[in-house]
Amino acid sequence: MKNLFTVMKFTMREMVRKKSFIISTIIIIALIIGGFSLPKILSAINEEKGNKKILISDESNVFEGTLESLKTMDLPYDITINKTSYDDIKNKIENKEIETAFIIEKENEQVKIKYVVENIRWENEVPQDLFGAMSSIYSNLQISKLGITPEQLQMITPNFETSVEQTQKDEVEFQNVFVMMAVSFSLSMAIILFTVQVAQSITTEKTSKIMETLVTSTSPRTIVLGKTIGIGLIGLMQVILFITTAIICANVFLDSELINMLLNVSNITPGFIIITLVYFVLGYFAYALLYALTGSLVTKPEDIQSANTPVSMIAMIGFYLGYFSISIDPTSSVAAFAGMFPISSAFCMPARIMMGLATPQDIAISIVLLIVMVAIIAKIAISVYSNAILNYGSKMSLKDALRLCKEKKK
Amino acid sequence: MGLKLENVSKSFAGKKAVDNISFSLEKPGVYGLLGTNGAGKTTTIRMLLGILNKDSGKITWNGKAVDRKNVNFGYLPEERGVYQKTLIMDQLIYFAELKGMNKKAAEKSIKEWAKKLKVEEYLNKTAEKLSKGNQQKIQLMTALIHNPELVVLDEPFSGLDPVNTDLVKNIIIELVRDGKFVIMSAHQMATIEEFCSDILILNKGITVLQGNLKQIKDSYPANRVKVDVNQNIDSFVKECNLEIENEVDNNYIIKLDDENKAHDLLKMLVQNNVGVTRFEIMKPTLNDIFVEKVGE
Repeated sequence: MKNLFTVMKFTMREMVRKKSFIISTIIIIALIIGGFSLPKILSAINEEKGNKKILISDESNVFEGTLESLKTMDLPYDITINKTSYDDIKNKIENKEIETAFIIEKENEQVKIKYVVENIRWENEVPQDLFGAMSSIYSNLQISKLGITPEQLQMITPNFETSVEQTQKDEVEFQNVFVMMAVSFSLSMAIILFTVQVAQSITTEKTSKIMETLVTSTSPRTIVLGKTIGIGLIGLMQVILFITTAIICANVFLDSELINMLLNVSNITPGFIIITLVYFVLGYFAYALLYALTGSLVTKPEDIQSANTPVSMIAMIGFYLGYFSISIDPTSSVAAFAGMFPISSAFCMPARIMMGLATPQDIAISIVLLIVMVAIIAKIAISVYSNAILNYGSKMSLKDALRLCKEKKK
Repeated sequence: MGLKLENVSKSFAGKKAVDNISFSLEKPGVYGLLGTNGAGKTTTIRMLLGILNKDSGKITWNGKAVDRKNVNFGYLPEERGVYQKTLIMDQLIYFAELKGMNKKAAEKSIKEWAKKLKVEEYLNKTAEKLSKGNQQKIQLMTALIHNPELVVLDEPFSGLDPVNTDLVKNIIIELVRDGKFVIMSAHQMATIEEFCSDILILNKGITVLQGNLKQIKDSYPANRVKVDVNQNIDSFVKECNLEIENEVDNNYIIKLDDENKAHDLLKMLVQNNVGVTRFEIMKPTLNDIFVEKVGE
């Protein structure tokens, strides 16, 4: 037990001292902060920049002066209305006096509106709010010419009051879906990324030939478990750090109304947090031990990628099955199966629990299946590791390693 | 008491790597394990350290089965390795803690050994900044800092320069003086002769020779004579039906198939007033015995 803590402590210290770990942690935290603060930054830039300057040229007097009412509307533009030729508008845009312009013309009773921009970029798209307001002004002008009073106009304009009534109460708690998907995605990525580190750590020890000294100092089981737990704890701490950063950023940068709309805190109970942690730990162990197995078969660092491929494939299938089944239809039988199936349950069951889609019986069966899978993988991985780590020749196949395990048992 | 291997065998994929070997170390000293590459030395060492399971036989230390729990051993493997990007001090503490030491005692022992092996200045550096020889000394420290009773050194001198070889030799002498049991595998026969009282020579997993080194050598007849003279003696050598193996500045090494011929040669040199400063009838070296036993 003491040696398990020693291996864990050493693995954790080695991991957090790695430049790649420090840099990637800083980058992800910066991205989280950047992502949450981006809307505020953009709105601050827009405020500083002021309203967009738009010129409306009505040389044919199609609107008969009614466009002036645009200036009294609550629109985010500095609007200038006059009669300016296309060439003059072009010059004004080039000289940055205005940003865009509408040119209104009438040909054979057909009103034509040109929107003039310097170049077509997303920020130069036709401002639909302004265009809508112009259409409305034009309609009112034409209706008033027909001699209809404003009261009559109001009567013929549809003004329905609409509302939605449910006949059945929702069984699914959709309020937290967005946040749950984000958490589920983060946990899945953490499981996949950190389990690969276990393989890398074992391969590094093997290829640096330190392994022989290590296995005479403590048992292979202690090494595998110490490494797996150590790297897992660092992974969990990193995920907690990222989630904490995201929560702080959401509170600092997002409107409280938006947060309340996305997240129902009442659903995040201590019990739910514990179950999520259980799934994270079991999911992590299942894949970390599989990667420990492949890592111990490799003799050269360049072989690690190919050795890890089968496990990566299983992890990807588990992730896609779990994540996308609940993204598309969390109530479907595929999602229910993914919640039970041990290779995918860690990726989707916490989300299903939060949505109220899993019964306590489902949760118990799913956890038991996952524990059984972890126990089987641990037994095979430790046995293969013990036999394969001192092989310095060519890469050992899993078949050879398993044969060695059988021979050893005899 | 001590270490005892009885009829130990090990096969890999049906091929015998070690076949029925037995030896024992009953008192502190250095035991030499010799053999060509692939002879089964490392497999034997791995079995006696419990890294590999033996197929048959018995390995005991002070009467108890050998495993990590009941033997405090130190091991310098043939495959050299250190954590390249970890501080030397940190990795030595790590291994010392795995061997049951506390951090404080480990630090004290590391500093003492670093002083003996002249690597104090590297303790706070990463291994990648050290030369291969110094990395090897660090690995030797890993094997010794926890004060083991049984020390297994697999090729301890390979890759070391003469200065560091001397340093490590002194460490081994000190270990024996301190009552440690040392098993050493080496290719340098001169080194084995220098340290080992008992040896075992393996060839393709089979013991081809074992026992007390002096007794083994004594059992072999003399095979060379070394003669330092003041003139050319080629004609006298020829007359005695002997063959010159090497000659530099009238210092001769002459092959010997019969010790009496050496006596005849000496008589002849004296009778002819040849100035003889050295005349030594030599027993075969361990190297000769080794080549004879394992040479194809």
